Amino acid sequence: MSKKLALENVSKHFGSLIAVNNVSIDIEPGEFLCFLGPSGCGKTTILRMITGFEQVTSGAIVYDGKVINDVIPQKRDFGIVFQSYALFPNMTVTQNVAFGLKMRKMPKKLIDERVTEILALIGLTGWESHYPSQLSGGQQQRVALGRAIAIKPNVLLLDEPLSALDAKIRVRLRTVIKRLQEELGITMIYVTHDQEEALALSDRVVIMRDGEFMQIGSPWEIYKQPKSSFIAEFVGTSNFIPGTKKNEKIQFGQLEFAVAGIENVEEEKIYLAIRPENIEMVDVTISAEDCIPSNVVEVTAEVINFLGAIVRITFILEEEEMLVDLPEKEFEKINLKRKDLLKLYFPPEAFHVYTELFRKLI
Amino acid sequence: MNTALKEYTASIDYGISSARTEIDRFIIPAVTIFIALLLFFFMLFPMWSILQLSFFKGGQFGISNFTLANFHKYFTTSYTLKALWHSLYISTVTTIIVIVIVFFFAYAMARTTISGKTFFRNIIMMPLIAPSIVQALALIYLFGRNGLITAHLLKIDWNIYGSVGIIFSEVLYCLPHAFVILYTTLSAVDIRLDEAAESLGATPFKVFTRITLPSAKYGIFSAAALTFNLTITDFGNPVVIGGNYNVLATEIYAQVTNLYRFDLGATISIILLVPSLMAFMLNYYVSRKTFSMISGAAKPVIPPSRPLQKVSYTLYCYLVAFSIIVIFATVIIGSFVKIWPYDWSLTLDHYNFPSIGGYSAIYTSVWVSLIVGICGSFITLVAGYVMETRKPFFKQFIYLLSVMPAAIPGLVMGLGYILAFNKPYYFFYGTPWIIVINIIICNFTLGILSSISNLRNIDPSVEEAAISLGGDTIRTFFRIIFPLSRVAFFQNFVYFFMRSMTTISAVIFLVSATVHLAAIEIIMLDNDGWTASANAMCTCIIVIVLIMLGVLQIVAKKTGGRPEGLAAEI
Repeated sequence: MSKKLALENVSKHFGSLIAVNNVSIDIEPGEFLCFLGPSGCGKTTILRMITGFEQVTSGAIVYDGKVINDVIPQKRDFGIVFQSYALFPNMTVTQNVAFGLKMRKMPKKLIDERVTEILALIGLTGWESHYPSQLSGGQQQRVALGRAIAIKPNVLLLDEPLSALDAKIRVRLRTVIKRLQEELGITMIYVTHDQEEALALSDRVVIMRDGEFMQIGSPWEIYKQPKSSFIAEFVGTSNFIPGTKKNEKIQFGQLEFAVAGIENVEEEKIYLAIRPENIEMVDVTISAEDCIPSNVVEVTAEVINFLGAIVRITFILEEEEMLVDLPEKEFEKINLKRKDLLKLYFPPEAFHVYTELFRKLI
Repeated sequence: MNTALKEYTASIDYGISSARTEIDRFIIPAVTIFIALLLFFFMLFPMWSILQLSFFKGGQFGISNFTLANFHKYFTTSYTLKALWHSLYISTVTTIIVIVIVFFFAYAMARTTISGKTFFRNIIMMPLIAPSIVQALALIYLFGRNGLITAHLLKIDWNIYGSVGIIFSEVLYCLPHAFVILYTTLSAVDIRLDEAAESLGATPFKVFTRITLPSAKYGIFSAAALTFNLTITDFGNPVVIGGNYNVLATEIYAQVTNLYRFDLGATISIILLVPSLMAFMLNYYVSRKTFSMISGAAKPVIPPSRPLQKVSYTLYCYLVAFSIIVIFATVIIGSFVKIWPYDWSLTLDHYNFPSIGGYSAIYTSVWVSLIVGICGSFITLVAGYVMETRKPFFKQFIYLLSVMPAAIPGLVMGLGYILAFNKPYYFFYGTPWIIVINIIICNFTLGILSSISNLRNIDPSVEEAAISLGGDTIRTFFRIIFPLSRVAFFQNFVYFFMRSMTTISAVIFLVSATVHLAAIEIIMLDNDGWTASANAMCTCIIVIVLIMLGVLQIVAKKTGGRPEGLAAEI
């Protein structure tokens, strides 16, 4: 069965650039862990240090109780799936899948059996003698997956494996990967900048920024309780309201919002974050009597974007551009047009309270 | 599915052998050291020998022996000093002419919609398949004392021997080299820039001077530097057509072979090295800029050229192509007629080579070239791989060593080989093997550069995938890298083979009484007055190179590679 992998105070410097700064995490056997962050945040560097293609500057990578910092990649027995598939273009599907087994000097009969099993597992039976150039992107990535798991790695490392694929195929392959992980019980470490992918696949997500871990938690925790304004902005969408604390309320221009859980906040300058789907529309998604009057505002619909299941409306509140999402079914009822007036309600408990702001307000 | 799972969860039964991975650690350093030693011993050591002989009394290294007497002698002897001015003059004039001719030719290929481009491109590459002597031989047949055009058609006394002859032959010899660079540059620069300028109201002339020329300026510098270098270091053409007009290259040869003044030969080598090194460094410096300007940006279709433009460019290209064809036709026809230009009856007499070498020289040339082709392309691929993908500690150092041969004129390298290896204990001296090594080293730079650019096209993840699956260096190289470099390997093979068949200057000092080479035989035959046989020998070389190109074209097609005509081989 899988063994435990851990990073202990790992740092990586490239000259004066600090790519990864003193991070630690225990990865449980059989876990699906995602590193999620914007490009340049150090997530791929972490993956490459685990694979052994990059050396750690300080700290330790511990596997099964042993420090493996100096173990060469060939001896680590981790499978890797690359963004660019990295299939051997001069070899057929079978030869690609069999490569790792040949390197292990496995008898030919056993190799044939294993390849047959793997091809069945990834749904490519019948494609044995095709070359990578004859396969679609999705099929190529399946072969890459099959090639990586053929050597029975204890840990499978996936570096943005789906980002080169079309949206539709991406979603389908996501299911394939998740199913493989559950059926085979391998630890999977997955790097992506696609938050939807990370939330859909992982047991735990690590949010990274500038080489540091910002938050580690289940997808639900990350989405519902973002620890910082950066995460509230990066995962999903948030409206930010810069305000000042006064009389247990938050002042924002002429408005005074009632906000849950600000009793213990010391600072005067406060940033509230609220997700577009958590803003209610008075008399449409919430009845007027249920609203605290101070949190009801009247605004003009500036832009209406139809996004399918939801309709996203842009409005301006106290010179800040903000978004509210309305389920398409509700939108249909009210027949809203550009420049129409909207009555919106900001529920006090829907706010996240931050004392600093990551991004500049646009 | 269930059995698959059961099988899967079983423990790992076959691991990676530890012994193999242990050995693997030493392979890259060992190969790196081997390459470094090879270049040290066969490039730096001969060059050091030349420096020693030119700067130290009796060639004995030591502070007290340091002397500038050789240089003093050179610069105070008016005859030898003239060679320097001659060389600079010839090279400058040739460079200007070549750049003008080739720029418009390349412009026609890259920017106009004239037809017959494949034909033109193949014709302009032709000079590469023959030794740089074919131009001189042909020009003498056409414009010499008994030239077909001068003496017989125009009945004038003028002949082409001397500086004019050298310039003409060098121009015709340098065309393909400059063309490759300018064509690449002009095809890479975004044609939409021109269209944007035109849409803003610029006249065609303004577009040309303000947009086209500046955007190609690095390519022009690079091509000019290369042409200058090729001309100043060329030996074959000036020795045949120069007459009494001496240049540095012929002067080195004269000092060594006729006067046995090795010290003066070495001194002139140093003097020749200075401008050629400067041209090389300029080329190296600007070619990096050229390639940084070439992006993967989309290249839209060339807009149809105006009729007048089309006609004039077509005529121009035919004119250039015609000149090259005339050169080759003259040499080939000249080898089959009894007495050019008096008796036009066909004969094979000239193919009974009167010299000692004869057909055995051709035979030696072919097998030497095959070995050079295989070893050269393999060594440069391995060296490129070691350097590029593994980034060893002294990568930069090896890189510097690898580009140096391009800066050293073949004749100088050849002289260095005599001085360094003409000792009884260097068993390979006087055998064909020293020629093999010399040609590989002399052409090392282009080989390794094309290997590197090919290796850079291989997705680094592919190699990492092989490693993560347990592949060691040797198996990764032979199963992944080598198959993926096949096309580059073939191209390098062709390049090394062609260079080996046609080079004169690198090996002229290394042939001996027992080892003859076809390209050198041409000079010997011409020198002894057997000009028609020299043409015949030239023809043999051309035919052999063409056959090899054809064979490789077929092989490359069969194995999936697609070199595009001659241009792809450079």
